[in-house]
Amino acid sequence: MSDTRVLDAEIAAAPGDVQLAPGQTLWRRTEPALLGVGSIAALLIAWEALPHLVAMSAGTQLFFTTPSRIAVTLWGLFASGAIWTPLGVSASGFALGLALAVLVGLPLGVLVGRSPTLNAMLDPFITAFNATPRLVFLPLIMLWFGLGLWSKVVIVFIGALFPILINTYEGVRNADRVLVNVVRSFGASEWDIARLVVVPNALPFIVAGLRLAIGRAVLGVVVAEFFGSEAGLGVMMVQAAGRYQVDTVFAGLIVFAALSLAMTALVWLLEDRLSGWRPQRPSNN
Amino acid sequence: MPAYIAGRNVNLTFRPPNRAPVRALTGFDIDVEEGEFLSIVGPSGCGKSTFLNVLLGLLKPDSGELTLRGRRISGPGSDRAMVFQEFGLLPWRTVESNVELGLELKRVAPETRRAASRRFIEMVGLTGFEAHYPHELSGGMKQRVGLARALATDPEVLLMDEPFAALDAQTRDLMQVELLRIWQEARKTVLFVTHQIDEAIYLSDRVMVMTRRPGHAKRMFVIDLPRPRDYEMRVTPEFNALKLEIWNALKDEITV
Amino acid sequence: MADDGQPRRSFVESHRTLVVGCGSVALFFAAWQALFLIVPFNPLFISKPSLIAEGLWALIAGGDLAHDLAVSAVPFAYGFAAAVAAGVPIGIIMGWRARVGYALDPLLTVFYASPLVALAPLVIVFFGVGVAGKAIIIFLLAVFPFIFNAHAGVRTVDPLLINVVRSLGGSEKDLYLKVIVPSVLPYIVAGARIAVGRALIGVLVGEFFAASEGIGYAIARFGDLFALDKMFACILVIMAIAVALTEGVRWAERAAFPWRIGQ
Repeated sequence: MSDTRVLDAEIAAAPGDVQLAPGQTLWRRTEPALLGVGSIAALLIAWEALPHLVAMSAGTQLFFTTPSRIAVTLWGLFASGAIWTPLGVSASGFALGLALAVLVGLPLGVLVGRSPTLNAMLDPFITAFNATPRLVFLPLIMLWFGLGLWSKVVIVFIGALFPILINTYEGVRNADRVLVNVVRSFGASEWDIARLVVVPNALPFIVAGLRLAIGRAVLGVVVAEFFGSEAGLGVMMVQAAGRYQVDTVFAGLIVFAALSLAMTALVWLLEDRLSGWRPQRPSNN
Repeated sequence: MPAYIAGRNVNLTFRPPNRAPVRALTGFDIDVEEGEFLSIVGPSGCGKSTFLNVLLGLLKPDSGELTLRGRRISGPGSDRAMVFQEFGLLPWRTVESNVELGLELKRVAPETRRAASRRFIEMVGLTGFEAHYPHELSGGMKQRVGLARALATDPEVLLMDEPFAALDAQTRDLMQVELLRIWQEARKTVLFVTHQIDEAIYLSDRVMVMTRRPGHAKRMFVIDLPRPRDYEMRVTPEFNALKLEIWNALKDEITV
Repeated sequence: MADDGQPRRSFVESHRTLVVGCGSVALFFAAWQALFLIVPFNPLFISKPSLIAEGLWALIAGGDLAHDLAVSAVPFAYGFAAAVAAGVPIGIIMGWRARVGYALDPLLTVFYASPLVALAPLVIVFFGVGVAGKAIIIFLLAVFPFIFNAHAGVRTVDPLLINVVRSLGGSEKDLYLKVIVPSVLPYIVAGARIAVGRALIGVLVGEFFAASEGIGYAIARFGDLFALDKMFACILVIMAIAVALTEGVRWAERAAFPWRIGQ
């Protein structure tokens, strides 16, 4: 049940690690970032230049677009305000679904983590639902909830629930038995133990689950809107695709990606805030 | 005539990216006799493991000379083999296959390899465990596999880098006895790096004390206790006198 | 009587998790079936296990199920194979040559974070409704786990083992064959486990968009026809396949790489 756990190994900093040597090692420090940014820039430039360098058939030209045109379309969407309604619809579906997933997944994960019986009972269902692409339920959900907000929320909920549930479960199970016994020996109740040992220990797992859940939630919004909605950013994209407005499709993709990255960055911040007591991780990612 | 292993003025500085350079060895001199068991003790970070890696050929010194039988050491070779502190066994191979690794890399025929590995597995006392995987073995057993692997290529020199540091105290004592037994049988020149003075005295013909980093030789002690060494020697007055001498040489180099 | 003097544990006791799990699933289906003794049953809205079983049997007997699965399997196979063939080498090079890793990692992370599924309509419109378009969607979804896992696998090769093989006189080729490939293999198989799930999403997306056959199309079609029993049957079949594939790979991982406990 732990394929969704994404924990980096923790490497204790060695004495003297933080020492910086002057001069030429500045290049060594910035080289990775430069290479990364450079390759993205190179790709964009090559993409932009391609139509000028290569002759394309009329059919391909219909589909081809360049970063500059995408940027113009994107800007236009924001300037004209045309993007805000669909974005709002998508975002509300995303937020509601994710919030529900947290509200259900977190407590359930704790319960399942603390009770081996409950774990044994629910394991087949959790394994089955986690392995199955949520998309398979979409026609059924459309049948039940129609084309409005709620079918979207349900798909997002199912997608985001399992990473949170599974990771919380792993985090709770991972609680250091020694620490639990220590706290128990001082007369702590089960609730105290949960509060003092289990939850703080589980937090990094939970946050990792949250990161995964965000990715799944965004995917959920996209697929729900593609097939089963009347409004939203995804709907806008599908309609644009049908009209060969490739720029709009990419613009929508960029907005989704930006949302996803922004939320993931927020979670990184949250993780940092909550993990002050852990040994420093080397910042390689 | 140069010694069997001769090191003159060996210098090595590490230059890691994003960090200040680290001088590991400065002006390191050493002479090793053929067939002797020489231990090197020194404080943490003094460069003793670094020197072993230079001798093995995995690290190149910045300057200085290091020769074996008069030939310069310029890279790994089949005349030297190392036993590593963290064992270094390939986890996906059986004991037998691990012991054969060196011979396999030298393109020795399978039947010959198998016979050799069986022999050394027996020598280190692991008969019956040929088909086991490393994760099924205890620390002491893993290190015996490491030893068998090193011996299987029939090197002239055996380099041992704190090989028993990862083992518990009792296993460690047993392994020391075992090592001496195997050494009597195999008759190699051994360079043994350790933190433990007891261990160094018990096992060796000579013990070298190194300074703290940047490391070089401080003093050489001759251990003239009779061989074969038995465990009871460790509590004799002669042993303790040696221990005190070596400790006195070492303690100024150690900072807590 | 066992040798240690204690009564032998029954099968139930020693396989407690399995028994409880199976019991729980059986209980679920029984409760589902029994629910409609109290609640009125609307066949246009939901189905029940007895009807689902009948519908499933009808699909199997008529050969429809096998046919649909076969149709869906073709782009899955192509897309997945392409994902392995492209993803693993890229990931390995990224891990082996640090510069390549630095250059490509941010780029690929951006791609991975974007819901590439969103490009599915474009892909289908451009490549048509045949196998090619679907295979490309599946490839786009499945390639990333292989790249990232192969990359991670190479980066976490134990440097001690590299030193060991070098010290025993191993060449570069020896390093690759005897250390790097065996080290990386478990990571690649784990990547396959993740990629399978994503590839299945690709199959469904492709078929929901534009198909006239296939298991995903079947689900949508049964939904349109309000044939809830057959719809549920197909959903359960996909769930079973998904679980079989992922758990199967997981089992294979444990069997093939027993030294990787807890990873």
